[in-house]
Amino acid sequence: MKKLTAVFLALMLILAGVSAMAETIVVMPKLVGIPYFNASETGAIEAGKELGIEVIYTGPTTGDAAQQVTMIEDLLIKGIDALAIAPNDPDAVSPALQKAIADNVLVVDWDTPASGDDVKYSIHQIDDKKFGELIWDKLVEAMGTDEGEYAIVTGYLTAANLNTWIKYGTEYAAAKYPNLKLVTDPVASDESAQEAYTQTLALLGAYPNLKGIVGISTPAPIGAAMAVQEKGLQDKVAVVGSSLPKDSSPYLKDGSLDFGILWDPGKLGKLTVYIAHYELNGTPITDGMEIPGVGPITLWEDGKTIIMGDPSVWTAENADQFDF
Amino acid sequence: MEKVNNNPPTIGDRVIQGIRKDPRMVFLALVLIGLIVLMSILAPGRFLTVRNFKNMGFQMAEFGILAIGMSVVIMTGGINLSLVSSSMLGAIVGAYLMRALNQAGTMSDWSIILIGIASILTVSVLCGLVNGFFVAYVGVVPMLVTLGTQTVFNGISLNITRGSGISGFPKVFQKIGSGTLFDIPYTLLIYIVVILIAWYLVQKTPWGVHVYMVGGNEKATRYSGVNTKKVLTLVYVFSAVMAGIAGILMISRYNSAKADYGSSYTMMAIAATVLGGTDINGGSGKVWGTVMAVLILQVLSSGFNIIGINRNITDIVTGLILIAVLSINHFTSKEKIRKSK
Repeated sequence: MKKLTAVFLALMLILAGVSAMAETIVVMPKLVGIPYFNASETGAIEAGKELGIEVIYTGPTTGDAAQQVTMIEDLLIKGIDALAIAPNDPDAVSPALQKAIADNVLVVDWDTPASGDDVKYSIHQIDDKKFGELIWDKLVEAMGTDEGEYAIVTGYLTAANLNTWIKYGTEYAAAKYPNLKLVTDPVASDESAQEAYTQTLALLGAYPNLKGIVGISTPAPIGAAMAVQEKGLQDKVAVVGSSLPKDSSPYLKDGSLDFGILWDPGKLGKLTVYIAHYELNGTPITDGMEIPGVGPITLWEDGKTIIMGDPSVWTAENADQFDF
Repeated sequence: MEKVNNNPPTIGDRVIQGIRKDPRMVFLALVLIGLIVLMSILAPGRFLTVRNFKNMGFQMAEFGILAIGMSVVIMTGGINLSLVSSSMLGAIVGAYLMRALNQAGTMSDWSIILIGIASILTVSVLCGLVNGFFVAYVGVVPMLVTLGTQTVFNGISLNITRGSGISGFPKVFQKIGSGTLFDIPYTLLIYIVVILIAWYLVQKTPWGVHVYMVGGNEKATRYSGVNTKKVLTLVYVFSAVMAGIAGILMISRYNSAKADYGSSYTMMAIAATVLGGTDINGGSGKVWGTVMAVLILQVLSSGFNIIGINRNITDIVTGLILIAVLSINHFTSKEKIRKSK
């Protein structure tokens, strides 16, 4: 028992020692432990190594805004130089981010925007409007027709970014594809493929004429594809959505998933660390600037919004080329 | 033969008596002190600071009050899975009213806040009555009732808010969650008052005695002439009022209300209750035990965050401590039974 305690203590001291480096950037995802945010962790840590700075990638184990607030407050006591946050809720973290600013911590957001007043930069993976529109274009392409019934399976009904894409997508569809009929309000799948599978089975049962399913949030299209695969409806029901290529690959190959549309979350993690580092060290951030391993970025005229690039589309042919 | 001691008991005697009477509390206190020492060593100059303790005071209250609300239900052998969702339903109704009144701009900030708080507590009492009715009068298993009401409350919240947050309260409302009195957070002061009230109600009133009796053996309690239905209903109302108070603190701290705030607190509240020595089958447990457990979880969480340890490890360590304490409790209580035979 004593030995164990000693080993534990030694381990902790090593961990504590690591945190004594010069520049500390915290990258906080909405939650840790899902493939999407694991991929951005790899990118963020890689950037930290390239730049020789300490990057702490930490977040709550569930998508709970209250947990994020607690973690921010605690990290401020630890003492950090920059905080990059993907807020579960922009309003909830706002008071905590204001505390960080009062502490002279650089605050930026990534993946999901925080309130504008709280951040120096807002790092977006894609242009939300373009992304929503592309998903609905791909839906029509996969259905092979622009009329018929479709349903939306989303992550959480409370997630701002998911709701934004749904809003842009449905508005676009209403104008461009007026014969496309959304059968019911978006169904929540709690960021779980299992839940998306269950919900999709229910949808397929309730709406036998369903021709398409849009999965928003990375596990949703996978779960929807699982249900379509089980029912053998690959040719009748089209599934598209924002999924990771590695997860999508088996379903793309058998046709249960038609298109996966996303970006590289690893690059996003990397970009986030680079932007925070540049800002801390006074390197000016400009439109068209080349970020190592990421490519040229777009800086909007507001001087705040950074766009990483265009979305990528995964198909049966290209999905295996990616390792996330 | 034992010697009869005629001298009045000294403080030392009392402490020893206390340890004999409640070895679990001593054990929890030791775990707490051990953790504080450990964190102070691992995060030198950061953990053991006034700022950090103030920070923990701000954070602890909402969760601590929820945990008390959970504990009293578990003391009756029940469980309240709808705790956090009733908390947020009340908070959302209150937030909605406060925003509307604030935008109308005809009332003073203080009356808006009073109306907000009153509506939150009213909704909480209603939620508690619903749970209490189904558990006590219809006789459905508490886990099923509250699992159902959790979904219902959450559904209503989502319907009101359409999934987004409600903000735009009077500015002073934020003070509840961020203000201090002589450097002590208001939230901590509110928490202390709530602890004292809960302690008094559970440990010093006939209702409290009945709570334990129902938890021990409901049938026997009923046949001994206690209105167990009323006792149980009040337990769920009490739990919901705790949820309401926690809701007020949360929306003040986050300056907004949203259906899924604090969703991770439900399971943590059960963990804190059990860690604090309340029997999950009901019939025993103390408010102070839960308070101590909340302190332990807070120190663990803040300490690990300050050191910069991955949250998954925090969850694992929390789980391990829970299992360790439960095992120790299990064996000590077995020993007690053997001794008494």
